[in-house]
Amino acid sequence: MTNYILKRLGQGLLTVFLTVSTVFVLIRMAPGDPAVSYAGPLATTEQLDAVREQFGLNKPVLEQYWIFLQQLFTGNLGQSYSFQAPAMQVVAERMPYTLTLATASILLTAVVAIPLGVWMSRRPDTGKELGVNVLTIAGQSMPDFWTGIMLLTGFAVLVPIFPASGFATWGGLVLPTITIAILQIALISRMVRREMTANFAAPYLTVARSRGVKNSVLTWRYAMGNSAIPVFTALGTRFAAMLNGVVVVEVVFAWPGVGSLIVRALETRDYPLIQATVLLTALLAVGVQLVIDLAYPLLDPRVRLGKAATA
Amino acid sequence: MTASTVTEQPKFTEQPLLEVRDFQVELITDAGIIRAVDSVSFSIHRGETVTIIGESGSGKSTTAMGILRLLPEDLAVLSGTVLIDGVDVTADPKAIDKVRGKTLALIPQDPMTALSPVHSIGSQLFEAIRIAGAASAKDKGALQARAVRLLEQVHIPTPEKQLKKYPHQLSGGMLQRVLIAIALASEPQLLVADEPTSALDVTVQGGILDLLLELQEQRGIGILMITHDLGVARLISDRIHVMKDGSFVESGDVQQIVDHPATEYTRALLAAVPVLGPWDETPAATTLTTTGASHD
Repeated sequence: MTNYILKRLGQGLLTVFLTVSTVFVLIRMAPGDPAVSYAGPLATTEQLDAVREQFGLNKPVLEQYWIFLQQLFTGNLGQSYSFQAPAMQVVAERMPYTLTLATASILLTAVVAIPLGVWMSRRPDTGKELGVNVLTIAGQSMPDFWTGIMLLTGFAVLVPIFPASGFATWGGLVLPTITIAILQIALISRMVRREMTANFAAPYLTVARSRGVKNSVLTWRYAMGNSAIPVFTALGTRFAAMLNGVVVVEVVFAWPGVGSLIVRALETRDYPLIQATVLLTALLAVGVQLVIDLAYPLLDPRVRLGKAATA
Repeated sequence: MTASTVTEQPKFTEQPLLEVRDFQVELITDAGIIRAVDSVSFSIHRGETVTIIGESGSGKSTTAMGILRLLPEDLAVLSGTVLIDGVDVTADPKAIDKVRGKTLALIPQDPMTALSPVHSIGSQLFEAIRIAGAASAKDKGALQARAVRLLEQVHIPTPEKQLKKYPHQLSGGMLQRVLIAIALASEPQLLVADEPTSALDVTVQGGILDLLLELQEQRGIGILMITHDLGVARLISDRIHVMKDGSFVESGDVQQIVDHPATEYTRALLAAVPVLGPWDETPAATTLTTTGASHD
């Protein structure tokens, strides 16, 4: 078990390292000049050179990478150009907002999608099921910026129940959470239905039915118990993805999280800030993935106990 | 070898455990309605083993699953009469709940897939005991004791240890014994065994059949055996119904059918089994001579 954890941890750190290195190269290959963004369009060549000198951008790329690696191991990725503050600190301040939004979204998704998927699996080919099915396809097809704007128009403008932007009150959490959850609910509920349907057709379920096990027990203990692993994995993976910043939704709702931060960092070519954001979100995503991997043995005795010798 | 004293009692005075009259199963498929089982009638009394034998697709398993009402409700239309211990399960879909996990139990075809892989042997056995009402859910000691006794009855070594195990940790033969123990939890009077040995290694098949015969002798259980293997049928049956394309083409005493098959189909089934004579020297013969339950 310890070996397993260490191996996964090593793989995770390698993933993070490769991610930040790739991003380091890619942002320098992309068009645009941080010095121009920083000094403004009217800056003279001398001013631009001074800025490049100040940020160390006049050095060869390999040397910049070497400095970056040193910074990486000290955990200090340098000053953000636009915030004039340590980049890691700027990102760390935004992180709780994204974490809050992601947690709320994944909880709402789980609470709605699991019962909905189970409900659909137990009423295959009925009119109601078909209706819900169409709704989930719609939910899957609506782009989140559009859903977000529609919800804003409806519940912040026409009927002003919730604030339109920011996170000043808990009410501000409602609309962005719903916007994110709609797509996730559509995806996860269809997955739950698929898994449950497969398990309802499994021989062990028929045998359990033959010995008088009640329908509710067949559904929740047997079919859900066996569907739990893929559903849990999907929820965890989605959660990890949300931690990388729910960019579009954060921008639509002016949510002060890392998603909207990275948009600004990219616009201003704020290299340290981009690198810090990528580093922190990649670390978090890998951490969540590790937790999922470690939870497998708890959910599945086949993983926990391995293929034991037969009697 | 099968005739226990119970089967020699006069049969007509008592109500049969299972009485099937004009039973029909129609399956709704994309290609239209298929009559998978066409007007079959038979009965099983206490202590009797009745076998339905036939090739794949003959409708034998559909008959068994139809009687147990385990076919998808929306895809299978049942008609005729099936009385299980006097309860008519075809007329009222809810009636089957009165006999499931009580008088009636199923021994499934493939033991490797017949238990939930994420629940322990013990939890699935305890559940069956609770449903049978043999021990209350709160009395853990009584549940445990009953579970251990059931596993002992099916000759599983170190039962306490097996309870904590999960299905993937046991062999097919052991799992089939566990499933028989689960079936016995409710002291059933009728066992429906749907090809109980066909997924097992030949070396353990004999042990499972021996166990079924032993339980039948001890308890006078009636068994409906579904098989495609005339060797199995001959070993344990009192009566045989040969099934083809949804109906019985031949019925009668096992020895009579083996010795004097009336139809070409039965002759073909007989010919498909290489080992029928007791002195046959083909290696597979050992599976049918049941030289003991200790094979697995």
